[in-house]
Amino acid sequence: MSESLLINLSVAILFLPLLGFITVVILGKRFPKLYLLEVGIVSIAFILSLVVMFAKLAYFPKDIIAEFTWITMGSAPFAGSFNIDLGIKIDNITVMMLFVVNLISMLVHLFSIEYMHGDKRYTRYFSYLGLFTFSMLGIVLTHNILMMYIFWELVGVSSYLLIGFWYEKKSASDAGKKAFIVNRIGDIGMFLGILILWTNYKTFTFDAIYSQMAAGVMPFGSSAWLTAAGILIFMGAVGKSAQFPLHVWLPDAMEGPTPVSALIHAATMVAAGVYLVTRIFVMLTADAMLVIAVVGAFTSLVAATIALTQNDIKKVLAYSTVSQLGYMVMSLGVGAYAFAFFHLVTHAFFKACMFLGSGSVIHAMHHEQDIRNMGGLKKKMPITYYTFLISTLAISGIPLTSGFLSKDGILAGTLAFGKLTGHWLIPIMAFTVAGMTAFYMFRLVLLTFHGEPRDHHKYDHAHESPKLMVAPLVILAGLSIFIWYTPNPIGADAGWVLSSWIKTPAQVVPYNTRYEFMRPSTEEQKAEVHGEITHSVEYTETMHWAHYKAMFASLAVAGLGILIAMLFYLWKKVDVDKMIEGKIMNTLYRGSLKKWKIDELYDATAVNGTLQTGNGLSWFDQKIVDGAVNGSAWLTRFTSKLSGLFDTYVVDGMVNFTALFSGFVGLSFRKLQTGKVQTYIVFVVFGVIILLLLFKPF
Amino acid sequence: MANLYQSLELIRPEIILSIALLVLVTCDLIFHKNKKYIPYIALGGLLLTGIFVIANSGASGFAFIQSELMGKIGLLAIDNFGTYFKALIIITSILIVFFSFSSEEIQKITDRIGEYYALIFGMILGMFFIVSSVDLILIYLSLELMSLSSYVLAGFTKLRDRNSEAALKYLIFGAISSGLMLFGISLVYGLTGSTNLYVINMMLQSPNANLFTLAFANILIFAGIGYKISSAPFHFWTPDVYEGAPITITAYLSVASKAAGFALLIRFIKTTYVSFVDPVGNWQLLPVFDWKSVLIVISILTMTLGNFSALWQNNLKRMLAFSSIAHAGYLLLGLVVFSNGGMLAILIYFAIYLLMNLGAFLIVMLIANKTGSEDIDDYNGLGHSSPYIGIAMVIFLISLTGLPPTAGFIGKLYLFIALVDAKMITVAIIALLNSVVSLYYYVRVVKHMYLVKPEKEAPAVIPNLSDKILLTVLVAPVLLLGVYFQPLVDWAKSSLEVLGLM
Repeated sequence: MSESLLINLSVAILFLPLLGFITVVILGKRFPKLYLLEVGIVSIAFILSLVVMFAKLAYFPKDIIAEFTWITMGSAPFAGSFNIDLGIKIDNITVMMLFVVNLISMLVHLFSIEYMHGDKRYTRYFSYLGLFTFSMLGIVLTHNILMMYIFWELVGVSSYLLIGFWYEKKSASDAGKKAFIVNRIGDIGMFLGILILWTNYKTFTFDAIYSQMAAGVMPFGSSAWLTAAGILIFMGAVGKSAQFPLHVWLPDAMEGPTPVSALIHAATMVAAGVYLVTRIFVMLTADAMLVIAVVGAFTSLVAATIALTQNDIKKVLAYSTVSQLGYMVMSLGVGAYAFAFFHLVTHAFFKACMFLGSGSVIHAMHHEQDIRNMGGLKKKMPITYYTFLISTLAISGIPLTSGFLSKDGILAGTLAFGKLTGHWLIPIMAFTVAGMTAFYMFRLVLLTFHGEPRDHHKYDHAHESPKLMVAPLVILAGLSIFIWYTPNPIGADAGWVLSSWIKTPAQVVPYNTRYEFMRPSTEEQKAEVHGEITHSVEYTETMHWAHYKAMFASLAVAGLGILIAMLFYLWKKVDVDKMIEGKIMNTLYRGSLKKWKIDELYDATAVNGTLQTGNGLSWFDQKIVDGAVNGSAWLTRFTSKLSGLFDTYVVDGMVNFTALFSGFVGLSFRKLQTGKVQTYIVFVVFGVIILLLLFKPF
Repeated sequence: MANLYQSLELIRPEIILSIALLVLVTCDLIFHKNKKYIPYIALGGLLLTGIFVIANSGASGFAFIQSELMGKIGLLAIDNFGTYFKALIIITSILIVFFSFSSEEIQKITDRIGEYYALIFGMILGMFFIVSSVDLILIYLSLELMSLSSYVLAGFTKLRDRNSEAALKYLIFGAISSGLMLFGISLVYGLTGSTNLYVINMMLQSPNANLFTLAFANILIFAGIGYKISSAPFHFWTPDVYEGAPITITAYLSVASKAAGFALLIRFIKTTYVSFVDPVGNWQLLPVFDWKSVLIVISILTMTLGNFSALWQNNLKRMLAFSSIAHAGYLLLGLVVFSNGGMLAILIYFAIYLLMNLGAFLIVMLIANKTGSEDIDDYNGLGHSSPYIGIAMVIFLISLTGLPPTAGFIGKLYLFIALVDAKMITVAIIALLNSVVSLYYYVRVVKHMYLVKPEKEAPAVIPNLSDKILLTVLVAPVLLLGVYFQPLVDWAKSSLEVLGLM
């Protein structure tokens, strides 16, 4: 396979879903069967991405870039000459993302055929999925940050369309708006970051920016600006990946159809933020990385505490997603790049499996989402149960699952980070979250599938979902087993994914702005080519030190979490209701249940503040300004007559004059157009004479 | 005429055109009962000419050498600059043939369709010669060839009184203008002793002519050209003729004959009055006449007059007539800069102007076919009843205003870049304010189409398949060039070269 074929295939993968979207959205009303075309197109895209992935990983060790010049400006005022190139970059993480996105997109398409059956906007739903797939693939493939931003907004639009898909429901359309607006806040930051980079480097291409940075060119001559640019671009990821404080939109986004939640709000789009950070990883300074690590760790902790008490099956999964995304972001922040991306991939599979599984449950329970009304579904829906259980084990980090491998790596990374830098709070938070995750996930499983059914009417009607819906579950649960990633179930490093597929890129920021463990430490390392060092020797040693410690610690906390969940909900040794009657426990419980009132806080401050500012301005206008005007008019009754005259004749006159000036000019010009050809000729002759008088050479 | 063979080779497109013209006339005589095939013959002739125009790209040289005293100088200069405008003219002509297919007005005169196309071919031939001629006599002759054909075409349908009125006004106005121009040409000949632009340029390098007379002659010649590109104060015929002529011809006059006029103006000034082009691409003018001030005044006057007069028009054809006057003003700004950058802006702007202006006229025609009216009040509610037409019109109008993401923005962008580069900020601001004024009357149409409730139900204007395709052919590039314009820029860049002395 040649390089150009690989490029052509990638471009085809990108544009096939767009083709599907356009065809289905235009002709969908007339041909309701057209949704099959969309499903077929995504399946073809998946097969192509499979081919591209294996070809790239096996035969092309180097990154492949294909670009063309979009705009050439020889001399633009204030900017000088510059080119804007568009293009794609195919490296290892690109092809892996292509595979993940296309696989889950295809499975969600298949799942939706049954799940959405009978919906009145059935074909439109599939066309939106096509638009989303196109935009997401654009993010994955692009080689420059401008296109990244464009596709970033496009996934925002398709997410908005799909969250509000049932827009007759007010909560759904509100959730769509909320997601869009909250994301906008993050995107402003990202845009500013892009502007900083562009102003200084006159290019949007990642590689071109990085090679200039590696050569020592700093934005505005200072590495502080580099930190600022990194954090600002990261703000885009904060919005899209639902990091604190912009995480509030994701749980509300669960108003969309459940397969959409699986595709967009669990597996792919929300991971785009993490993907963005992997793309800009090499330009992050130590300060920026610390910010990222803290934001990620804090997000994952907050979301995990909220997930402990939620009763809506999709809400629990939503907060668990936020928490896991926080994990990935934190992992990038502590320099464990490979594990972050690895966790992105494994999480995509098991979280999509859980969401689709919850969709299967909701489908069977006739749109019941409250886990307090479920229970005992294990017997009725065995396939859904076992696939859900496997993914739950994976997210809890139990050995033999994929989640164990990636999560263990992240925990080891935080531990090593704590030891090397002294920021011990981050590993502590990470391990706490690991325990909580195991607890709330098992709580979910036990309440949903075990015990006695609590709503007998719905239970009696429940049944296993059709084949088209359980097949994706089986595939995704299968992908949550360790064997696809490494032959050694406790050593991820031995596997092909980490040893050869994901390579941590070398930082391009100056040595003095990096973490100490990301600089070369020994003479041998220093002797190597500049900029090729990803981690110091100490870091590698510390990772070895942390590996088994992290593994046992994580197993211990996960086991503890599972044990408590069993005690609470399976064996009922502890009465939960009684426990939360205690004063402290009750406060904590209510806080968690009410999501720490962050939404209310935003309503009271940001939303209400905006409204109040508007009201205040209007009040100021009515009372103060008008009052002042009235008062002064009253006080100066005598002079007011004078000023009234002045007003009528001078001020109004001027205002009206300006307003009508254009019109008057037009009218007088129109008078020239008499319609009589004699007059025209007179004008021409006079025109010639006037021109001559104006421009005579002496 | 030793180089007759080489000369003929250089003017192959013109030869093909002449042959096609003869074939058209002959066919018209032979098939006087059934004229169905005439438009297809015309189309074939145009396509063939187009192929030869493309084949000629890259060719450069003088045809019909007149004098070899100071290097070879001929009657016609064949260069990439000319080829660019010839290509634009051919594209417009092909589109106009398709316009004529769907025009109701032209359907009604099917029995005279042969003459119609023969006259159009006469115009094209005239325009082709205008674009490349470098001799004042030939310039005058080809200008007349084009004008005489267009006088007849303006009143060709004879369906209403205003057709004949338009033709008569056009004729009288044109006669005066070409008379003035001829007077100017005779003065220049008297001053320099030559009608060839290159020779005149050389004579003016060491001026001993009377500068006042030269200025007079220049203004007179500009009167002739200004009438073709409808720049103030020679634009008075435009609204009346545009309103009275059949829409196909109005659209044609507003694009093709303007293209020829601009090509002539650029070539005339560049060949006659530029002493050399410096490495950065700025043109050094001969110090004999202040073209720069003249053109600044005229271009600002033209765009202001056009835009402000358009504010009050209720007839769409008349409004577009004033809008095309305003666009002539913008285009002149590109020349005012006297640099390659400015010329590049003109070339880009014109290609884009071609698409968006023809598109707007096409929609006016489709609506007039259905409703029989071009009045803005008859557009009320059309956006809702005829979505395809409505959306396409909005795109064209946005592009005419010069807003992104349409091609019109790119045209204006390059124009303003050229102005700012030349440090003519004041002029740029005036042009920008003019754009703001133009927004009013363009958006007014959109308002009527979408926001004003019609008194009775708005008629649905559903274009048939061929019209839809034609519309798409015009809409798609307007949108596409708004985001990916590099190919057009590259083409225009390669067409900057005006033939110099060998």
